[in-house]
Amino acid sequence: MHMADALVSPAVGGIMLAASAGAIAYSTYKCKDDLDEKKIPLMGVMGAVIFAGQMINFTIPGTGSSGHIGGGILLAALLGPYPAFLTLSAVLLIQALFFADGGLLALGANIWNMGFYACLLIYPLVFRPLVKKGITKGRLTLAAVLSVVLALQLGAFSVVVETLASGVTELPFTAFVALMQPIHLAIGLVEGLVTAGILLFVYNMRPELIEASAHNQKLKSDLPLKKVMASLLIFAVVVGGGLSLFASSNPDGLEWAMENVAGTAELESTGDVYDTAESVQSSTAFMPDYSLKSSEDGSAVGTSLSGVIGGGITLLLAAGTGALIYFVKKRKEKTA
Amino acid sequence: MTGISESMSTINSLEELADKKTIIHQIHPRVKLILTLLYIVLVISYKPYDITGLTFYAFYPIILMVLGEIPFMPLFKRLLIALPFSFFAGLSNIFFDRQAAFFIGSLPITFGLISFFSIMLKTIFTVMAVLILIATTSMPKIAYQLLSFKLPQMIVEQIMLTYRYISVLLQEVSSMYTAYILRSPGAKGIKMQDMGVFVGQLLLRSFDRAENIYMAMKCRGYDGKFLYAKPQPMIKSDWMILLMTAGLLFLMRFFDLGLFIGNFVR
Amino acid sequence: MLEISDLSYSYPDGHQAIEKISLNLGAGESVALVGANGAGKSSFFKLIIGIAAASSGLIKIDELSVEKKTLKEVRQRVGMVFQNPDDQLFMTKVYDDVAFGPRNQLLSDSEVDEKVMAALEQLDILHLKDRMPHRLSGGEKRMIAIATVLCMDPELILFDEPSSFLDPKARRKVIQTLKKLTMTKLIATHDLDMALEVCDRVVILNKGKIFADGPVKEILYDEKLLLEANLELPLGLQKIN
Repeated sequence: MHMADALVSPAVGGIMLAASAGAIAYSTYKCKDDLDEKKIPLMGVMGAVIFAGQMINFTIPGTGSSGHIGGGILLAALLGPYPAFLTLSAVLLIQALFFADGGLLALGANIWNMGFYACLLIYPLVFRPLVKKGITKGRLTLAAVLSVVLALQLGAFSVVVETLASGVTELPFTAFVALMQPIHLAIGLVEGLVTAGILLFVYNMRPELIEASAHNQKLKSDLPLKKVMASLLIFAVVVGGGLSLFASSNPDGLEWAMENVAGTAELESTGDVYDTAESVQSSTAFMPDYSLKSSEDGSAVGTSLSGVIGGGITLLLAAGTGALIYFVKKRKEKTA
Repeated sequence: MTGISESMSTINSLEELADKKTIIHQIHPRVKLILTLLYIVLVISYKPYDITGLTFYAFYPIILMVLGEIPFMPLFKRLLIALPFSFFAGLSNIFFDRQAAFFIGSLPITFGLISFFSIMLKTIFTVMAVLILIATTSMPKIAYQLLSFKLPQMIVEQIMLTYRYISVLLQEVSSMYTAYILRSPGAKGIKMQDMGVFVGQLLLRSFDRAENIYMAMKCRGYDGKFLYAKPQPMIKSDWMILLMTAGLLFLMRFFDLGLFIGNFVR
Repeated sequence: MLEISDLSYSYPDGHQAIEKISLNLGAGESVALVGANGAGKSSFFKLIIGIAAASSGLIKIDELSVEKKTLKEVRQRVGMVFQNPDDQLFMTKVYDDVAFGPRNQLLSDSEVDEKVMAALEQLDILHLKDRMPHRLSGGEKRMIAIATVLCMDPELILFDEPSSFLDPKARRKVIQTLKKLTMTKLIATHDLDMALEVCDRVVILNKGKIFADGPVKEILYDEKLLLEANLELPLGLQKIN
């Protein structure tokens, strides 16, 4: 579910970075007020636990496949929502740098998708109310499973929206959603059960750890929290909605590309290429209301071919330059 | 288990690379951070069908990798992680965007195919850029720079602490895992129903560890705030590199070398 | 220098860990604190640096009694080297870790630098200053842990198992280092051979009480006494059958 840099546009990446930065700033502010200093090292170590924990593959009975733990809800249940969000953000940055799990520009989107929903939205709005009346085995399990599933659904949906808004894929919205949500429902159920198992174990051994963050006394004045959650939620909806509107009004960079190339290109297409093009188009009428009009007047056709040849040569040149520097360097080292 | 030992060796080898002292390593971390971000933004700002301009950007990572003495092997490993989702997103373009852009002989090249290659190129370039950053700049240095970018200290502390304890925890998980597997012959991994106890144990141990760390901090006068030295200032050559490279990257964005060569050749 | 009188401590669950201990350490003394696992050594240390609060009794460091409002001062004067260096070294760079204490004393950057360099030099580990702690060997980590404490110029250092987990060479280096340090030292250890070399006095702790206290040569040579405390003669003194 980590998004790579190549799948976001600068606008989407930037917006999500700003949104996540805002959430981080707010969490830091909240933590400053009511974080006891003991929690600082604990957060660091928990971040490392989540990191290491995600490397553990476990076998899912009856399927032969394996899964791994997520972490947002688990962290929130152990540390409280704000510290958990900060911790998870730190983990995501390290994963992006060292493992290409997500990218730098996509970091904002990843923090939002995997951290914000779980820690700052679902935990306080779903998990905490469910265990408010006292923790029992059943309630803890229900809260964990439900929270993980919901957080993953929101996260997966965000991935869809962000990817489409970035305009890098032609996958239709409905198909994308129909693909992502069920997969993450399954993942969520498994992950939720495992999270519940972990929390139950910790609760049996050290109940005070989970109780402390579940009943977070210091945040008892529920009003500001709810206000903030509500405004963040509205913000999310506005951003999300805005992005998808933007995406649908600008459905294809295709047009843009065609105009651009057409402006500089000279006519070069021959008759039979044309005929083939039309026959290909009519046989693969995927987008019926799209016409080849733009390529009729300027031939994007010829230019694109030369473009591809040129692109290939450029890549070779780049590689050649690299090789050249390498050999010159080697030589220098040898003579030195 | 492969996941654990592999990630340990990934971290180790990247740290070893960052220990080298090439020209690239000596550039101020702030410069590298800014240039990396700029490069990524410029690369992904290309529209899906514009691959000719994009190819120009291959020069940046290739030259830096050679100058920074970064081997290509780790790059492939990283691509394996980053590519699948990009590949899938790109592949769907081939299916959904079957409009022919032009023909090579009688083979139609569709817009979907072009945008597929565009996604792949973007993925490779951006992954390379981040790899170059981390292979020539150690994590503490990067975290330090984040402080000077006015990131809240609390999150920087978290990044540093998490980073510090990752290898300790990986070691711990790896020995717990070995102990588990030794006592459950034939198992391919940890059984799902044992995960609660397994990770739970790990958590409890880590709580104790955090307690000890807290004690160690307290012993040395900690009162809730990490204090850092000021990072090294940027020197003249750092500014030069920053301005020149940034300038070049921008120029590349407006000059389509691939198309130029292509037209020239034909 | 360290005065402890009638000190008692019990765990939150009620288990009595320390029972009416009284102990005096003179300035510059080097004392080994030995005792089987669970004898109360760790709790004892926690009480001295004020991480745990005694249920009764008094601890004084040169007339400064250990209580909540004096903790800052106490921790300036008393340093502690933890058993597991991974607990003690929490920064990403050796230099920063050693500098952590002096920076908390709000010294200027140049003063901090001076202290850090002096401590690293004294222990002959200056070459490690830009390394990352998690990439070092156990022995190197131990030396750095000592440096982090040393650079705060403490008058008393508590060592928790300083020779554990080390190979012979690294252990030897730690022993040499301990011998060179002139401040008061209280060393909790199972390594009686090291105690024999480094300390002049031994205190045996058994079930939370002081079981024996005397010069190292008297106590560590007394096989009967050691057996009673669930210990055995130092290897160097055992006859090979």
